[in-house]
Amino acid sequence: MKLATGWLALLAAISGAAQAGSPVSGKDAFEARCSACHAESGWATRVLKRRLPGDQAVLARRTGLTGAFVKVVVRHGTGSMPQIRKAELDDGTLDAIARYLEGPK
Amino acid sequence: MAAAGKFEQALRAFARIVGAEHVTHAAEALYEYADAMAPRDPASYAPRGAVAPASVEEVQAIVRLAGEHGVPLWPISRGKNFGYGGSAPRIPDIITLDLIRMNRILEVNVEHGYALLEPGVGFDDLFEYLTANKIPLWMSAPAHTWGSVVGNALERGVGYTPYGEHASKICGLEVVTGTGELLRTGMGALAGSKTWQAFPYGFGPAWDTAFMQSNFGIVTKMGLWLMPEPENTVSLSMALEKAEELPAAIDALRPLKLDGTVQANPSFGNVIRTLATRATRSEYYQGTGPIPADVLEKARIKAGVGHWNFAVRLFGDRKINAINADKVKAAFRGKVSAEFQQSEWNRGEPLRNSGSPMPSLGALGVVDWLGGKGGHLTFSPVSPFSGAEAWKQYTLIRGMFEDAGFDYYGGFTAGQRYLNHITMILFDRSQPDMLERANKLFPQLISTAAKNGWGEYRTHVLWYDEVAGSYDYNHGAMRRWNEAVKDAVDPKGVIAPGKMGIWPKAYRKDRA
Repeated sequence: MKLATGWLALLAAISGAAQAGSPVSGKDAFEARCSACHAESGWATRVLKRRLPGDQAVLARRTGLTGAFVKVVVRHGTGSMPQIRKAELDDGTLDAIARYLEGPK
Repeated sequence: MAAAGKFEQALRAFARIVGAEHVTHAAEALYEYADAMAPRDPASYAPRGAVAPASVEEVQAIVRLAGEHGVPLWPISRGKNFGYGGSAPRIPDIITLDLIRMNRILEVNVEHGYALLEPGVGFDDLFEYLTANKIPLWMSAPAHTWGSVVGNALERGVGYTPYGEHASKICGLEVVTGTGELLRTGMGALAGSKTWQAFPYGFGPAWDTAFMQSNFGIVTKMGLWLMPEPENTVSLSMALEKAEELPAAIDALRPLKLDGTVQANPSFGNVIRTLATRATRSEYYQGTGPIPADVLEKARIKAGVGHWNFAVRLFGDRKINAINADKVKAAFRGKVSAEFQQSEWNRGEPLRNSGSPMPSLGALGVVDWLGGKGGHLTFSPVSPFSGAEAWKQYTLIRGMFEDAGFDYYGGFTAGQRYLNHITMILFDRSQPDMLERANKLFPQLISTAAKNGWGEYRTHVLWYDEVAGSYDYNHGAMRRWNEAVKDAVDPKGVIAPGKMGIWPKAYRKDRA
C-alpha cells in the first residue's frame, strides 16, 4: 500500500498552512493551483492574450491587479474561466494568491 | 421561506459533523456550485447550499441527517463535468454533497495494476502520484484533467489509451446507500477479501454498473485498473482533407478495432474542433451564423489541417507495434487520399507525445471560440461503427446545428464496437439570443436522434428527462425498473432526485 505523496501532499501542505493561519507563500500557492492554466504557455494566458496587451496576459507579471478583483474572479469565474469554490481552494490560500498577484511586479 | 429554513437547518446540522468551515450557505452556493457553462441563468438551478465531508463516516452521518430533515443531496466528486452541468444539480431545492475533500489515493498496487481511490482525486493528482513515485502504470484521462478519476469513470467518460473506456476498468466500489448504510460491491462484499480489485463480479448479481450514471448510492471508494507502461507507442496521425472521406476511414478502422489490432480509442475530430484550439472564430470569420463552407475551407488550408483529424495510437511491445502499424497503414491505403504521419515513443523517453495523458486543461480553451463568456452544451449520441451510419448522423446533426446558427463542432471517438459522437454547441453566455437558440436546439437533437435509433451515452443535467424519455422500449420499461429500484433502496429519495431521469416517489412531480 502506498499513501499519497508529492502533488497531493504539496497541496495539502499549502491548504493546511493557510487554514492554520501560518504564512503561505502566495507565489508557491499560485504556481501549485493556478499555473496549469495561467503559466506563460497555459491556455488561460493564450485566451487573455486575445484580450490584453503584451505581458498583461501573464498574471504573474500583470500590473494593476487588486486582491479584491482576483478573489471575485476566482469565486465567480469570468469569461471562459469556471469559478473555483471554497472547498477546492480555501479562503486562506486564496488570500495569499490575491496578495501575490496584487504585489509589485 | 419555510423551505429555505429547512435547508438552512440541515446545513447547521451538517456543520456539527464536518465543521462550519466546510459548509457553504445559500448565498455563496448560488455561484460556487452553479453550472460554469450554463446555457441559461445558472442561479435558476444552483443548489441551496453545500457540505464537504472528509470521511466515509461523515458521508453516512450526513445522509442520515438529510433523511431526517427531508432535504435531498446532490453528490459531486470534483464538479468538473463541464458541458454536462458541471457541479450543478438537477433541481435547485437540494444540498450539494461535495466529495472533493475525500482525495486520498488509498492504494496503488504495482504488481496487480490497480488503484483504490476516493472521489476527490483528480487526474492531475493521480498522474503526479504515479510519476513522482516512478510507478510503471499509466492512467487514462479525458481531454482535460481537472476532473475526478472516480466521477469521470462513473459517468462513463472516455480517454485515449487502451484503457480509455473508463467504466469498463472499474473493479469494486464502496457505496453509502440512501439510508446511510455502507456496502462494498463485487468481492468487497466478503470482509477481508483479497481480490476486491481483481475480480469484478463477486457472487450473485453484480452491482458496479448500477452505481454508474445513477442515484442508487454515493460512491466513496473505487477500484480502477491501470495499464502497465508499454515498451513502445506508435502514433499514426492523419488529416483527411475532404469531409466525405469520413465513412471510408471509419470502415477502414472498424476491423482493426474489432480484432484488437487497435486497442486505444482514435477520435476523428472535425475542422472546427481543431481550429477552436488555436484561435477564436473571429480570426476566421466575422459574420453571423455558421461559417460559410468556402470561408471554412480557406481557413482549413491556411491552418494546414484536415477536415477530419485523427490519430491511431498503438501501445505495446516494439516489434508487435511495428507489425500492427503496417497492418493499420495497409487497411487505410487506397481507401482515403491522405497518408499517415508516423512517430514513435520508447520507454525511458519523456512522456510528452507518448500517448500517456499529461496534466492539461487546454481543452477548456475551445469554449472561447465565440469570445465573450464562453459556454458549451455537449450532445453525445452513440453511432453504430459504420461509415454510412456515422455519415448520416454527422450530416443530420451538422445540418441542425447550422440551421440553428451554430458551427458544428464534433468528433467520433471509436470504442471497440461503437462510435461516441461527441458534439458541442459552443455559445457566448452573454448573448441571450444564442442561449435561446441553444436551448431550443438541444431537445430537437435528442428527439431527432431517437427517431433514427440513436441514444445519448450521457447528457446535461437540464435534459436528463428528455434523454431518459427517449429510452422508451415497452413504454419506458427501463425507467419504471430504475424507479422501482430507487424507491426500494432510497425510500426517502435522499440521493440525487432526477439524476439520469430517475425520480424517487417523493419527487416524481418534478419530472420535466
